[in-house]
Amino acid sequence: MNHVSRLKEVLEKGEFAVTSECGPPKGADPKVVLKKAELLRGKVDSINVTDNQTAIVRMSSMAACSLIINSGLDSVLQMVVRDRNRIALQSDILGASALGIRNVLCLSGDHQSFGNQSEATGVFDLDSIQLVQVVKNMRDEGIIVGGETLDSPPDLFIGAAANPFADPLDFRVVRLAKKINAGADFIQTQCIYNMDRFQTWLKMAEDRGLTEKAYILGGVTPLKSPGMAKYMKNRVAGMDVPDELIKRMEGVAKDKQREEGIRICVETVQRLKQTPGVKGIHIMAIEWEEAVGEIVERAGLLPRPLFGDD
Amino acid sequence: MTTQHNPILGLFYCRNVPGSSEQERQMLEKKYGTRIRLFPIPCSGRLEPFHLLRALEEFADVAYLITCPEGACRYFEGNKRAKKRVERTQEIISHIGLEKERVGIIIGSKDKPQPLADIIEDILGSTSHLSPSPVLQYAGPPS
Amino acid sequence: MITAEQKPFEEIREMIAPYQRILVLGCASCVAECAAGGQKETAMLASTLRMKGKMEGEEKIIEEHTLDRQCVNDFVIRLDDIIEGYDAILSLGCGAGVQAVQEMYGEIPVIPALNTEFIGETRAQGLWVENCLGCGDCMLYHFGGVCPLARCSKQLFNGPCGGSVDGKCEINPDIDCAWQLIIDRLSSFGALDRLEGIYPPKNWSKKQGGGPRRIVREDQQK
Repeated sequence: MNHVSRLKEVLEKGEFAVTSECGPPKGADPKVVLKKAELLRGKVDSINVTDNQTAIVRMSSMAACSLIINSGLDSVLQMVVRDRNRIALQSDILGASALGIRNVLCLSGDHQSFGNQSEATGVFDLDSIQLVQVVKNMRDEGIIVGGETLDSPPDLFIGAAANPFADPLDFRVVRLAKKINAGADFIQTQCIYNMDRFQTWLKMAEDRGLTEKAYILGGVTPLKSPGMAKYMKNRVAGMDVPDELIKRMEGVAKDKQREEGIRICVETVQRLKQTPGVKGIHIMAIEWEEAVGEIVERAGLLPRPLFGDD
Repeated sequence: MTTQHNPILGLFYCRNVPGSSEQERQMLEKKYGTRIRLFPIPCSGRLEPFHLLRALEEFADVAYLITCPEGACRYFEGNKRAKKRVERTQEIISHIGLEKERVGIIIGSKDKPQPLADIIEDILGSTSHLSPSPVLQYAGPPS
Repeated sequence: MITAEQKPFEEIREMIAPYQRILVLGCASCVAECAAGGQKETAMLASTLRMKGKMEGEEKIIEEHTLDRQCVNDFVIRLDDIIEGYDAILSLGCGAGVQAVQEMYGEIPVIPALNTEFIGETRAQGLWVENCLGCGDCMLYHFGGVCPLARCSKQLFNGPCGGSVDGKCEINPDIDCAWQLIIDRLSSFGALDRLEGIYPPKNWSKKQGGGPRRIVREDQQK
């Protein structure tokens, strides 16, 4: 199999990319992954697979990515530095490439104290920026940490995350620059609810020429209820949900709240589509994969582009 | 084994408490005999939990600290700190199964400073329901 | 300094259960400063153990003593005069103290009464905070005197993560975001540009690469 990254192809052709997310099951059944992936077939260009998100033990991201690839879809391997040292991370990078995985998203990972293994040690041997640099050196220079050469380099499109809403704002863009200088080809942002702050951040990134150096994908998450909006605002650090949005969710009848959440999400996507520095979106519909197709369709992003090998 | 029913009091008190001169102390000791033991200290803030614990371990059914009136501490915050230490001591003894009330603190009133003799009467009254301390019932290892 | 906290009382009671004559041994150094194992705390623990023992009708003899330092052999050896007759030592030293005493008196079990916590500072009365991991390769110059290893929950060398809000850490709002502190400090030095470059992966061999670490100084030896 000579896989290519679908995500990379879409972005390089100048198409507005759409990615989504699949949280692997708390179990060993491959059918759960395949079922979620099937909901996304034809709706997105690539599927992110989370890596023990919120520090809860789930099927490995690499295994789930492999299942998705074998069903003919593209996937993004999320890798967190919380659980593996540099030996394991580099080994898994090689393994992922061998399995045909072509995209990797390098993350710090949610702290272990949040999950169901709060007594675990946090490894954090490398940080996310160092991991980006390590993968880039493996791919482009064929070397691992310390300088030893590889027999054959991995083939991976490298991503990193950015949070335009965390503090301190000025330094957020410095950090984005560091990620891009380290070798990030694409950037996925934290969920965008506060469009003003996002635009401020994006302008700062543009001023540094960063939007030309990497593809920025705006993160969106449809709200299910005003309760969820409040939870994200108050309980999730670095999440910025404006009060107007909470009021808007509260202003509709209970049975219309999900519809309102999707409508808000579609509006956000449409604004992002018209924003020159943004090259795509990443939809994080948490345990609500069914919503993705609807959002993509209503935002006018269907059909997804086809390429020679389709 | 002792047969007395009135608890034996160990009392640590700040020398600033009214009615606690050397002469008055001797009078109080005469009056109560073995029922109380009095320990004047320069400042209640100097009292450590182990002083109270030692008293309970060695002779007292009840150990109390009496501070000078609030705001009157010569060392500014002595009586505030004392309160926290007494609370800590209460935690420790309740953890080993002794009643919390066996340790206490009387913070002197700013408006109506009470003499030591009255305070002792109050403590005797409020702790009279306590049974003899199980720590002091121990007969010692068989020889 | 090394900080520590006393173990739960019941855990201590269980560990000393098999022994009859116990020396409760304090240490007047770091653990005294952090109010865990100095003379006062040793007196409190010994007294509490004796009281509990009496309440349970036990026949233990529990006595106390405090050394200036448990982690320095020249001090530990002073126990020679009093150690006779004890069948266990309950140490309120840090982990280093417990082991040094055990090394010196191999035939007597030395039981830890404290959980050793971290290298830290006394920030205020009753508040101790961790600020050094003893990594063997100090990086404080690069980070404005704030260690990202000891003070960032995710040990980021290129922080801050996306959970930094209002200068606080996402793990616990009582914890300052180390990276906010680093950025503020370097800004005040006019040296924020030190953070523009990517800080490379840490050389951990200075901490654990050669197994347990030793420092050998011939000029200090006899």
